[in-house]
Formats: sequence, C-alpha cells, structure tokens
Amino acid sequence: MGHKYSLHAVYFCTGCGIIEIPPALTARWDAERFGIIPAAAPRQANLFLITGYVSLKTLKPIIRTYEQMGEPKFTVAFGSCPINGGMYWDSYNTVKHLDRYLPIDGWIAGCMPRPEAIFTAITHLWGMIDRGEADGYRRYRRYYRQYRANQERVLGRLDWPPLRGED
Amino acid sequence: MKIRQRIAEELSDAFPGLQTETPGEGRLLVLAGKDSVIAVLGYLKRRGYNHLALISCVDWMEEGEFELVYILSAYPRGEGGAAAREELSILVKTRISRKRPDAATAIPVFANAEPLEREIHELFGIVFAGHPRLTPLFLEREYPIPPFRKDFDTRQYVKDFFDKIPEVQQE
Repeated sequence: MGHKYSLHAVYFCTGCGIIEIPPALTARWDAERFGIIPAAAPRQANLFLITGYVSLKTLKPIIRTYEQMGEPKFTVAFGSCPINGGMYWDSYNTVKHLDRYLPIDGWIAGCMPRPEAIFTAITHLWGMIDRGEADGYRRYRRYYRQYRANQERVLGRLDWPPLRGED
Repeated sequence: MKIRQRIAEELSDAFPGLQTETPGEGRLLVLAGKDSVIAVLGYLKRRGYNHLALISCVDWMEEGEFELVYILSAYPRGEGGAAAREELSILVKTRISRKRPDAATAIPVFANAEPLEREIHELFGIVFAGHPRLTPLFLEREYPIPPFRKDFDTRQYVKDFFDKIPEVQQE
C-alpha cells in the first residue's frame, strides 16, 4: 500500500480548523515528513480533510469534491463539529453527523485539534490503509443508496445522477 | 460644540419630534418613526454620513416589535485622512410591528442596502417595500418560520430534522 506515503490532500476550509492547516503544512510542523502535500485540485488528491463545521450550504460542494476525487481516497474529519455538531449542536443549519452523508475514515476530536493530533491521525491512517480498513470509498459505493437518500433529505433533490451503488 | 450635539440639533430642526440620545462617546442614537426613517437616512447622507455600514434587526418578541438599526459613519474627507474624519457613528433605529413586518427599502438612499435587507428578509421575515429582489440568498432550505426570530426553537428543529436523519446501516 505504497500510496499511504503519498497523501495528496485537498482540504475543505469549512471552519476554524483551517487555521491549523498552514502551520501543519509549512516549516514548523512540516507535513511533508509524513508524505502529505497539498493538492491543487480534487482530481489529483487522495486525502480529503474536512476541517470544521459543515453547514447545509457547504455540504453540497463537499459531496461534489469527494465524488471528483479518484480512488482510493481517504477522508479525515477534524474537530468536534463534523462528529456531532460541536458547538453548533443546536444550530438550525449545521450538519450534526457528517458520516450520515459521506463515509469518514477517521475523526480527530478536539476544538480545534493541534497539528500534532493531525500527525497522530495520519500515522494511524497508515495502519488502517495497510490493514485495508480505510475503506470509506468502497463503503460509499456499497451503501450509496443510503448516503444519497440522506443527502437528499437535507439538500432536496440533487441535480446530478446517482452513482451506481451496490445496495 | 461637539459634532454630535450639532447634528442632534439639526435633526430635531429638520424632523420635529425626532428623539436623539447619546449612548456613549462617538455615538449618536436617533429614534425615528417607521415613516420618517428613510428621510432621516437621506438627510444624514447629505450631511456627510455617506457610509451605511450595516443594517441589523432585533426581535423584541415580548413587545411585539422588530427593531431595525441602521449604522452610519462618514468617510474621511479632504487631506489628512483619519485625522480629518468626524469620529461619530450614527445609529438610526426604528420599530415595526411584528404582526405586519413591513418596512420601506433604503436602497434609494444607500444602494448597498440591497444584500443587507435581503438577509434580514430571509432570516427575520421582514418585507422591504420597493426592494427589487427579495429572493433566497443565504439559506439552503425552507424553515417553518424565519430562523432568527426569537420564537424559532432551534433545539426542537434539530430534534425534528437533523436527529431524524438515519445512520447509514452497514454490515
């Protein structure tokens, strides 16, 4: 599983987590030590970092970005907000459980997590890739009908055709 | 005489019965009626307060009213930049009925009121008469009542909507 050392990241700067990304990528913490570099476009990326709360308005481009990425692809959600809404737990327009709309391979809890936590998560992700456990992209195809139904529950009818799911 | 006293006096000459207050240093509060607020804004713009920084809305639910707050300031004039600026923010407030939330649009006076009023329309349900496009701009869904109103129960909405999205069942 050589691509575990070639993680090209696309990050969706939805919330405060994006503040942690520049120091993590640059000289101070240097994510390149772990084989992570930023990708110019989703088509060239295999690691999707969702760095904070997801509002209904941003959920739609997040789904499109995820679907544009080639396989294999891994998603890591940062911070409390994608896990359960975090401080937006009673907000009228913030998605509470991101994994009901997209498959998430790993979570980094915290509000916000520090760069060290990102690297702990990435080294953990290496193990998952080795063991074949980072299989979110396969689960997305397999349970696509359920993911799509949930996406349409909150966004209304989506204006792109469904994937060919297996369930 | 301080600039804000001078402006307060000018305003009460131009609009008899208009109330003004001085809530703090560098601020002048003008309490305008629903029918005169646009004229007051036009007067202040001609007087040099030509920057509409913000329109905000407060829901005074118990009093059955919405309050619109227009915040004006003056751009620096002439040489000297900030030193020549009149350091005064003018807050023009007006109240409208919560049962019939109509207000006149401020676009003829300040063109940048367009998105500000659209936002208030979407989040508080206030109808700005004369606004050319009160169409959805910010929200992705329809809500039972505009979600920034005080009687919108966000917790109940989350229970009824987000908490009912099922988990993806996986083997």
